[in-house]
Amino acid sequence: MQTENDLQRALQTIQVRFGDQALVRATRLPTAEPWPTGQAAVDRLSGTGGLPRGRVSVLQGAPTSGKLSLGLDLLARASREFAQVVVIDPGGGFDPWALAPMGAELLTLAVVRPPSPAATGEAAVALARAGAGFLLLLGEPPEPAVAALESAAARSGCAVLAVAEAPGRPLAHASSLTLACERSGWLIERRLLVGLRARLACVKNKLAAPGAGAELEVRWPLGARLSSGRPVREQVEVGAGAEVEEAGWRSAAG
Amino acid sequence: MAVCCGVVPHLELALHPGLAGRPVVVGDSAAEHVLACSPEAAAAGVHPGHTLRQAEALCPAATVCEPDPAVTARLGERLAAALYDLAPAVEVRLDGRAWLDLEGLPRPGSAIREARRRLLAATAADPRLGLAPGPFAAWLAALRARPGRLLEVSDARAFLAPLPAFALDLEPEHLERLYLLGLHTLGAVAAIGPRRLESQLGRPGREAVLLARGDEPRPLAAWRPPVVTGTRRRLEPPVEDREALLFIARALASDLAAELGLRGAGAKRVRLRLGVEGSAEPEQRESLLRHPLSSTTELFGLLGSWLRDWQPAAGVTEMTIELPVLEAAGRRQLRLWMGGDGSAEEVTAALERLQERHGEEVALRARAALPESPIPTQRYALDPL
Repeated sequence: MQTENDLQRALQTIQVRFGDQALVRATRLPTAEPWPTGQAAVDRLSGTGGLPRGRVSVLQGAPTSGKLSLGLDLLARASREFAQVVVIDPGGGFDPWALAPMGAELLTLAVVRPPSPAATGEAAVALARAGAGFLLLLGEPPEPAVAALESAAARSGCAVLAVAEAPGRPLAHASSLTLACERSGWLIERRLLVGLRARLACVKNKLAAPGAGAELEVRWPLGARLSSGRPVREQVEVGAGAEVEEAGWRSAAG
Repeated sequence: MAVCCGVVPHLELALHPGLAGRPVVVGDSAAEHVLACSPEAAAAGVHPGHTLRQAEALCPAATVCEPDPAVTARLGERLAAALYDLAPAVEVRLDGRAWLDLEGLPRPGSAIREARRRLLAATAADPRLGLAPGPFAAWLAALRARPGRLLEVSDARAFLAPLPAFALDLEPEHLERLYLLGLHTLGAVAAIGPRRLESQLGRPGREAVLLARGDEPRPLAAWRPPVVTGTRRRLEPPVEDREALLFIARALASDLAAELGLRGAGAKRVRLRLGVEGSAEPEQRESLLRHPLSSTTELFGLLGSWLRDWQPAAGVTEMTIELPVLEAAGRRQLRLWMGGDGSAEEVTAALERLQERHGEEVALRARAALPESPIPTQRYALDPL
């Protein structure tokens, strides 16, 4: 009985100090609601039908593997669906022009360029806590901010997507869904390099079984391609042939 | 018109909950008269207005307490704030009377039950409740109800008629004049014309007749929340640990957010003062906000960001949070779409806080400038929010 009282007191202290959401019974934990991204590959690999809201997801891969293209495609879609989407761009390399072919709604998009790693973490946590619908993090938040970011997203239901080459252990641990991009080849047409092929694999999934994979075809905006819609596709093997689906587009930096 | 009146003991008595159930007299030793007395002392014959010597003679066992007008006034404000959201107009007096104008409320019964609960919680005394067409009749009805019960009056004039004329809130000499005129009951007062009594007592005479008739010439003086609020915590011993300061700031922010929520207000300006050891002047930080803050998360988001960078010169002896500029925030329905989205105001406020801390250039909005330009940097512009 004494132990129970002590435990109850400890729970109350934690809740008073850190808020009601700091400590919740497992039975009351909200389930992760999926946000259907419209990218068939991502929705399928997540196992839940979309990116999990209130969780941190990670797109990882080497440079020119297509991860940023995929991230930007999701950002463009989110900008049309949510009231507020944010891209946190510590490196200052984000170019809104890259979103143009994807039909992004720029009025709902805010670009945050934090001056330091600590500010990156602070911005990510503050915006996730405030309830931004979708938060794209170009890079990795500093280690002390990762846990706070996870809890802030869980509290507000914000879908956080971090795009990183090789996420460190804190981010990898916090991630609920990690998709790895790997370039499998270049797309060359009429002796011109027009894009790349990438393999997308689910390497971690806290909500469903990981391990599934998909092939992506990423085309760059060349000439008329710039305004021709979504020229990047997912390739799904069906029997001996290949069915091609519209999926997205990439930027030159991806 | 339907007015509910709750009657509790004088709020001076509510400052001494440890003496509940015992004879207590609150008296000003300088003026030497009784300001308030508990029901036990009243049963012994003590009444407000008696001298302290009279009170002592009537009730030798009574404990005499000095009044504390400042604390009582604060209690009155708290009580009014607690009742504020129950009815369109609320009036609270320090003598223990609280009125709620229930006219137009769809569920007046719920408001009365909630008012009883809040009065009980604030004063530790179960209120007597009266419901009548006007404040005066409601008050007299409440005086005749049992603690925790409601006495409802539909015909105010008939209810008031047999009651003594001394129930009127008049000067002692006016009451004596009424007695000398043979007007011993409110029914007798109501029977004569207002002008006739006005000629005897002046304007109070006219009002007395109208009150006795149940016409209620004075509307409720509705309490309005002050436009400034704040909270303070003294720290003994002085605190140097940043985590502890954050913890205290969160608790204070939570208190303020509860108060703001009750008022339907938001803070347009936030000021944080830290009193430090060995310094008469507190250290201070202040910010004017574009969007009002009203939730604990919003307030603590700002205060926490300040405190994380703050380097007090010495241990902190006092923390004060002031919200000197409030504005109506009732239109804001934060987290209406929660579960993922829709809190654009909170996101905008968070972006503004980032700009305050790191400069305008930290939060940008993209705009199409020359989309067809062959030079990539000319196609889109990023402007500060």
